[in-house]
Amino acid sequence: MHRRTFLTVTLLAAMSVPARAATRGGTLVYGRQTDCIYLDPVHTAQNADIWVSLNLYDTLTQPAHDGKSVVPGLAASWEVNQDGKTMTFKLRPNLKFADGSPLTADDVKWSLERAADKATGGEFQFLLASIGGVDAPDDGTVIIRLKRPDPAMLQALATFNAGIVPSKLIMAEPGATLDDKSKSFAQHPVGSGPFTLKSWNRNSEMVLTRNPHYWKSGADGQPLPYLDNVRYVIVPDDATRILKLKAGEIDAAEFIPYSRVAELKADPRLNMVLFPAAQVNYFTLNNRPTLKDGTKNPLNDVRVRQALNHATDKQALIQVVTYGIGTSEQSFMPASTPLSFGNGPLYTYDLNKAKALLAQSDWAKGFEITLYTIAGNADDVAKATALQQMWAPLGVRLKVQQMESATRLAHYNGADFQMLTSLWTNDINDPNEITSLFCYYPTIQNRHSGWDDPVIDKLFMDSQQELDPAKRAAQYKEIQERYFAAAPIIFGYEVPYPVAMAKKVKDFVQIPLGNNIFAGTYLAS
Amino acid sequence: MHLLSILGRRVLQILATVLLVAVLVFTLMHMLPGDPAEAILGDRGTTEAIARLHHELGLDRPIPVQFWEFLERIATLDLGESVTMRIPVTQLIADRLPNTLLLTAMAAILALLTAVPLAFLAALREGGWADAIIRGFSQLSLSMPVFYIGLILLITLAAGLRWFPVGGIGNSFMQDLYYLFLPALTLALSLSAILLRNLRSSLIEVLHAEFVGFATAKGLRRRVVLGRHVLRNASISAVTLLGLHVGSLVGGAVITETVFGIPGVGRLMVDSIFSRDYAVVQGLTMVLCVLVSVVFLAVDAFQALLDPRIST
Repeated sequence: MHRRTFLTVTLLAAMSVPARAATRGGTLVYGRQTDCIYLDPVHTAQNADIWVSLNLYDTLTQPAHDGKSVVPGLAASWEVNQDGKTMTFKLRPNLKFADGSPLTADDVKWSLERAADKATGGEFQFLLASIGGVDAPDDGTVIIRLKRPDPAMLQALATFNAGIVPSKLIMAEPGATLDDKSKSFAQHPVGSGPFTLKSWNRNSEMVLTRNPHYWKSGADGQPLPYLDNVRYVIVPDDATRILKLKAGEIDAAEFIPYSRVAELKADPRLNMVLFPAAQVNYFTLNNRPTLKDGTKNPLNDVRVRQALNHATDKQALIQVVTYGIGTSEQSFMPASTPLSFGNGPLYTYDLNKAKALLAQSDWAKGFEITLYTIAGNADDVAKATALQQMWAPLGVRLKVQQMESATRLAHYNGADFQMLTSLWTNDINDPNEITSLFCYYPTIQNRHSGWDDPVIDKLFMDSQQELDPAKRAAQYKEIQERYFAAAPIIFGYEVPYPVAMAKKVKDFVQIPLGNNIFAGTYLAS
Repeated sequence: MHLLSILGRRVLQILATVLLVAVLVFTLMHMLPGDPAEAILGDRGTTEAIARLHHELGLDRPIPVQFWEFLERIATLDLGESVTMRIPVTQLIADRLPNTLLLTAMAAILALLTAVPLAFLAALREGGWADAIIRGFSQLSLSMPVFYIGLILLITLAAGLRWFPVGGIGNSFMQDLYYLFLPALTLALSLSAILLRNLRSSLIEVLHAEFVGFATAKGLRRRVVLGRHVLRNASISAVTLLGLHVGSLVGGAVITETVFGIPGVGRLMVDSIFSRDYAVVQGLTMVLCVLVSVVFLAVDAFQALLDPRIST
């Protein structure tokens, strides 16, 4: 059998290992906006859980910090056979869970089969849907059999829901069903990540303590992590979180409002960091010929959508909403997504072009659009008022209706809307998730827009099993170009994750998917 | 025997209220657009995934069936399980309710401690400069939003002078008292202003009443006149007001708990409404309903003590 080696342990050298000596010990206090909800990797669906997950549950592969590739995790090396349907992983020797019990190929088999099964895999099962079965021929070898070749599988295995759990511990939990056992386990989870849960006082604080059995070593040759504990403190109010940081009660604070980034950058005691995020802000449009109430929908006309895109001054939006921190979208997918293709900002501001495009359409005299925003969201208010002014010269009147988020979601799922403010964050370092939802019609009618391009549908299906990276890149380039031309959305901008930290906090990373990575973090003395 | 029958009647009234609230909150929650499955899956939920979760959560069953189950559970004091956190609602409430109760109790006490002496001072110096200052202060604290007062206190007394921690909760009862002082003060200020204005005008009214003049003419010491006759009579309306405002204290706690980062039931309620966590919203509403009813009962009893005419 011809074999191809994708990656070997030599890649370890490419991982970011700090050169300077790191201090060991101490507790990092991290101010969070929202608390975790549920700590079983397959039932993890909210950002608050996803962002913590990799600290508790290690994965076969790990996401590189820039989001572009994977590095070895629990698996030291792997091979993929020629038809791309069998992947063989060699586990590191002597792997252990945080409780000291051995982590074997059986645990990997159990975890991945549970995560890949529709009945038990939870909300993100679709990322692992190509897995047909997993074999564990010996304690150190895992063979994944795929239903079809899957170019995204190595990235999918680095995603939170592919976290490896101790099968024996879960099965020993009380409860009649697997679901009941999982519920009980999630109260006191055990994984093999750099940290393990020490205590959790819901909505107040969660303490992670170092896993003494973690396999990875630091720059000093001793096992990671450097920190003894990470204490997450829940402070929902932005202003209070910043006050706590300034008062020295916490060492880091996430979700700094854009309006305050400049102020915190100027504070000599703080390190204000903007971590690149796989996150885009845009406007969802209903592309259907008629709306739910039967009225004719101008957004069905591609020239109208292009005109509105040209009439949208993205730089002004970035200034008004993000205080200049954001960057223009270059594709519907975030720039950090592998195979994202961009040639500079899309639909640059050009009012004359917008007017010309609109004049060619049936809506030359202008029209009214209703935008649903989230009630109480200051960013949404800023976006809506900016668009009202930008589109007025075209004769387009933007009506704004504020809605509580779950109500708006019901409108969205029922395709009962004309335009929405929208935010997307990738969950996997691959273009397949965002593409399946944005431009592969069968998933959710392209974000319930009703817009469809059968050519893209076909390209996407092909790309899902294209193992040649160059060919897959070409497919994705075409998908993105076609999407750009059809303009089913109003393109917007990308924003980073703003985290402010005390100067002593070193080497904390928030990767583009949002995961907080504390494995190599330390507190300088 | 007479007292017992009054008490029994009141308990029945409370039960009827709770049942009515149960029906109301169930209907309202299910009338709201959106449901827990949609909220959990967010904007990427496929029709298939939503349907599967509906089934798992039992939301695909007829509403009357779900309602009957809900009533059956209440009858056995089982409030069900949170669909997002997947833990019993009683546990969620038990973890947070003490914080909110302590916060509102401290706020009520602080409000009384400030309102009563200031109202006395203002009433005795009616029209004087002390009265003007006190009335100005109450006007100011009434017109400032709760979150704004909270932030100002945090910036000045906590982050600035470091007298208090910047929000959060302690690890013991004594620590909790310290951590909850600023949020309780925040909550207390507007209530204190309402009580103060009311008590001041009642005091002035009573001070001018004939029986006070008579008591003074009888040669009673001023302290006795003020304490036994004036305050006692003026307190009736203040106590009623305080009781009526307990409900709004809990409402104010929602904002205070968010600004100060306190894990209480106010925040739990708001989060649960947004995530359409039916069981939590329903359970919490009922618990709060019982608590407020009990406070009303206590207020009635207290009024009866102050004014013998009421109990007859």
